Amino acid sequence: MSDFLLTQIINYGAPVLGMIVFIGALGAPFPGTLIVVAAGAFARQGLLAWHTTGLIALVSVVLGDNLSYGMGHFAREAVLRRFQGSQNWAKAESTFARWGGMAVFWTRFLITGIAVPVNLIAGTSGFGIRRFFLYDLAGEAIWIFGYGGLGYLFGMQWEVVSELLGSVSGLALGLVLLGLGVWLGVRQWRIVEARKANVPEA
Amino acid sequence: MSPKVQRLVVFGLITAGVLLAVFFGLRAAFAFREFRRHGPPPFAPMEAKNHQPVETDVELIRDWMTIPYIAKMYRVPPEVLLEALSLPRSKSIGEKSLKQLNDEYFPQAEGFVITTVKAAILEFQAQAFSTPTSPVTPAP
Repeated sequence: MSDFLLTQIINYGAPVLGMIVFIGALGAPFPGTLIVVAAGAFARQGLLAWHTTGLIALVSVVLGDNLSYGMGHFAREAVLRRFQGSQNWAKAESTFARWGGMAVFWTRFLITGIAVPVNLIAGTSGFGIRRFFLYDLAGEAIWIFGYGGLGYLFGMQWEVVSELLGSVSGLALGLVLLGLGVWLGVRQWRIVEARKANVPEA
Repeated sequence: MSPKVQRLVVFGLITAGVLLAVFFGLRAAFAFREFRRHGPPPFAPMEAKNHQPVETDVELIRDWMTIPYIAKMYRVPPEVLLEALSLPRSKSIGEKSLKQLNDEYFPQAEGFVITTVKAAILEFQAQAFSTPTSPVTPAP
């Protein structure tokens, strides 16, 4: 897949890159980070103009993210019908309202594997579109210009950079899942302990 | 959520987290070692940019690259590469990757196109670098 996409970018340039990151933002399993780093290298080689390419990619990916946020937003009614009144849903909404900005920001360039689910949750949980847009824009700018910049810096050796960034992103996802599991485990354990403490001794 | 399901979720999250962290942690460590071995290549001075090849190491040629792209990167005329492959110059051939060209024109010989292209570039570079340049004579 990535080989085919790379060939299309060297043949047709920035519009194809824009399309790839746009469709990727909607949930297609494209190797986005690899493509962005490679595009940076192509810019250094004089194949793409870094400013217009960067701008097209940034606009496309932000559009894609906002569209997937919109999908979540329009699914909100159905989700509310199912979960409205549930304590867990209310808790999830308030948690996302508090931490959602950070989740949107970090999943744009570091924990990219869960970016689309975060977009959908943001839309469904009623997270404000303006806040979503700002965090999304900031995170995607780092992804496009930061990662693309590394590709630019390394030129033909961009594969080394892409491999490292992809692995770091997977590692970050693993650590987040592990942290979440430990946090939930500790919380459950505390609840069980509190219940035990409240039971009067016979 | 029943306590049993909650325990399962916690177990699943921790297991998936540990597996991902170990797998990608090892990959990241290897990638970082490789990353440190390859420093970023120096930028060519502006005045030399249009004359020097962007790349000279043929080991960086990959299957997804096209003939015009390689020709541009290595400053080799595309005709040299096409001639080595006995292919005509056409837009459709120029848009195909080395892998596609191999599958289409040399299906019996796997890796023929990439090997031939590398050899043609090395030969061209050897000729180009060995050609003595005429001494510059000062204008009267």
